[in-house]
Amino acid sequence: MSAEISNLYRSLTVVADGMEVTHPELVRRRADRLARIRVAGTAVAVAVLLGGVAVGGRLAFSADGSAPLPPPADTPGPPPTSSTPGPSPSVSPTLSTSQSPTPANSTSGGRPPASATGAAAPRPPTSIPDRAFFRLAAANERGLESWAKSAMLPALCGASYPSDSAVVQRRGRFLAYKKPEQPAESVPDGSYRHTITIYRAGRADDALRELRQAVRDCPTQKLSDDTRTWRQRLLTSGEYGDESVLFEMRSPYPDGMGEPGADEVRLVRAVRIGDVVTVLWEQGWESTTAERAQVDADSRRAVAAIENWLD
Amino acid sequence: MRDAQSFDEFYRCTARRMMRYAYAVAGDHTEAQDLVQEAFTRAWRQWGRLSEHPAPEAWLRLVVARLATDRWRRLHRWRSALSRTGPPPDAPPPCEDGVLLVRALRQLPATHRQALALHYLFDMSVEEIARETDVPVGTVKSWLSRGRSRLAALLPDLAVEKLEANDVS
Repeated sequence: MSAEISNLYRSLTVVADGMEVTHPELVRRRADRLARIRVAGTAVAVAVLLGGVAVGGRLAFSADGSAPLPPPADTPGPPPTSSTPGPSPSVSPTLSTSQSPTPANSTSGGRPPASATGAAAPRPPTSIPDRAFFRLAAANERGLESWAKSAMLPALCGASYPSDSAVVQRRGRFLAYKKPEQPAESVPDGSYRHTITIYRAGRADDALRELRQAVRDCPTQKLSDDTRTWRQRLLTSGEYGDESVLFEMRSPYPDGMGEPGADEVRLVRAVRIGDVVTVLWEQGWESTTAERAQVDADSRRAVAAIENWLD
Repeated sequence: MRDAQSFDEFYRCTARRMMRYAYAVAGDHTEAQDLVQEAFTRAWRQWGRLSEHPAPEAWLRLVVARLATDRWRRLHRWRSALSRTGPPPDAPPPCEDGVLLVRALRQLPATHRQALALHYLFDMSVEEIARETDVPVGTVKSWLSRGRSRLAALLPDLAVEKLEANDVS
């Protein structure tokens, strides 16, 4: 039997015409209900953020210095993982006034930086167990996790990272989360690309320094699958591990996506704990709004899981 | 002030066409219904301005296509997660040709699916598709040509119209 494409599309319309179409009043009600929920959620996020910035602002220091590198550990690593662009909508509409372009650095919450004296330095781990990956809070659990391979970071004007040559091991996953008030079976409210990387002794510092520079060198860019212009900037990260980098990617939503006039914002935080770096890249879920408070809370969980593993 | 009556009328006039389009682009019953509902939800939120739009149905198609693309990427990303538990079985539609086409379309890039659907479901010319998707005419021609070639490869019994891409317009 042969058929032409136009006939096949006619068959497809027959199938589609058999699908149930919701009553327009139900669509309007749903839209109004969602709008009310989003307004309430944004108000909470503003309150949390204002409190967080007041505390975190006192802890910000410049962190661009680089130490002499020790000899590499004797365990060779796999080939470095390259970064490729990836779409990941998430929105945090309340980050406009209080961030400094200077990344935060703190040494009060984690272990000291890796020693530069080779022989006396503790050997870095050589493999990443499952327990190094944090678990979401029970109220955020959505039960969706994937260990599919993907980039660790979003594209930043084609930046490459020489520190990738010092990777001992890298593992990553995707995981979705929901807001506490949503039922367990609901559509997720956001998702993360979460990676953990072990670097050869002393090289993890380079990874964060290179990431900061990559963000600074890429104030705007166009992504391969997107006609919009994206703006990147460093934000004050706060106290996470030995040092951390937080940056946002921001672009206006296309027509019909997100709230009218709102920006789509992606948040990415990289945290160094000794010779280990974990990256939490909030990717949203179907244009949902990501909240800074959620990313901060999950960043703390990510750091705690790694510290427990390394202890 | 949003006028519910005009929205409901717009919905009744366009929902069925939008469902066909969403099904052709997304390739799944449930997904199509979800996309259409989400697109109209967004339309109602902006109905005050959208009701004055010169082509609100084109705006809706754009939203459906963008949502479908976003979801398609996510489905791809989550494929390995779903494979652990097994996806729910497809509810077989009653029409065999429709099933064959939808299965084949799932293996095409989103842009190709979108261009083919606009052409075959809405009889749009290459120029019209280019305007709607905001890409050059040559890109649309390429999408249509490559999309049809891929369908021909996936559907051996398909008698592909012997059209050059230029003939589409």
